Amino acid sequence: MTDDRLSVIFGALADPTRRAILARLADGEATVTELTAPFPVSMPAISRHLKVLERAGLISRSRSGQHLSSTLRPAPLQEATEWMERYRRFWDASFDRLDAHLRRAAPERDGQ
Amino acid sequence: MNQYIQITRIFDAPRKLVYRAFTDPGQLAQWFGPVGCSVPRDSVEIDARVGGHLRFVMTGPDVRSTVDATFTEVVENQLLSAEMEAAGVPGVTGSLRVHLRLEFHDEGNGKTRLELRQGPFAAGQLGADTRSGWESSFTKLDALL
Repeated sequence: MTDDRLSVIFGALADPTRRAILARLADGEATVTELTAPFPVSMPAISRHLKVLERAGLISRSRSGQHLSSTLRPAPLQEATEWMERYRRFWDASFDRLDAHLRRAAPERDGQ
Repeated sequence: MNQYIQITRIFDAPRKLVYRAFTDPGQLAQWFGPVGCSVPRDSVEIDARVGGHLRFVMTGPDVRSTVDATFTEVVENQLLSAEMEAAGVPGVTGSLRVHLRLEFHDEGNGKTRLELRQGPFAAGQLGADTRSGWESSFTKLDALL
């Protein structure tokens, strides 16, 4: 994944309203009207947030009858998380060695 | 999305010893980094006081990273908090700058619960080539396990 692509994903995720929209969409697809209801912002403002999320590939939008529905696309979220997961694996691997190191140090502890 | 990693780990050793493993240069050199990486003892410099530094070099198959952390909070055997700057980190453009917080909690029976929090990991720090370096170290580690 390129730097630009991750920047777009992290940028889209940087806003609390957009994160709340994603959380709502995790329960199933929704129209702009349904997505606007819980927030103290206008429908055009929600539409702008949806455009940002769509550009990041985090949602897809499709027309069903009169309404434009948004659906969560979780793959980019997983890509962004993978980057941080490498740091978690780094520490986990280091801590396995620390664990072994502390076991070797055990006689020293008993002697104290 | 939370841009911090949080890790909780229980060690079968009193927190005085776990704390020392992070603050004694000779000890840090023995365990820091995944299998396949090493920290030369003479590269480690630790002054565990507020404003003091933790510096070391980590080398791996295709990696040479230098870490320079400045302690912002230090409570002996309980807490280490630092602003870290790491150069030469695989997949990162320029320096990686993150905050690191380590809490050492007494779990009883001579055990210690370590709470780690590190971040924020911001996209601006990430380079295009994200799969080299540490990944190859991990691959070697996986082969050993």
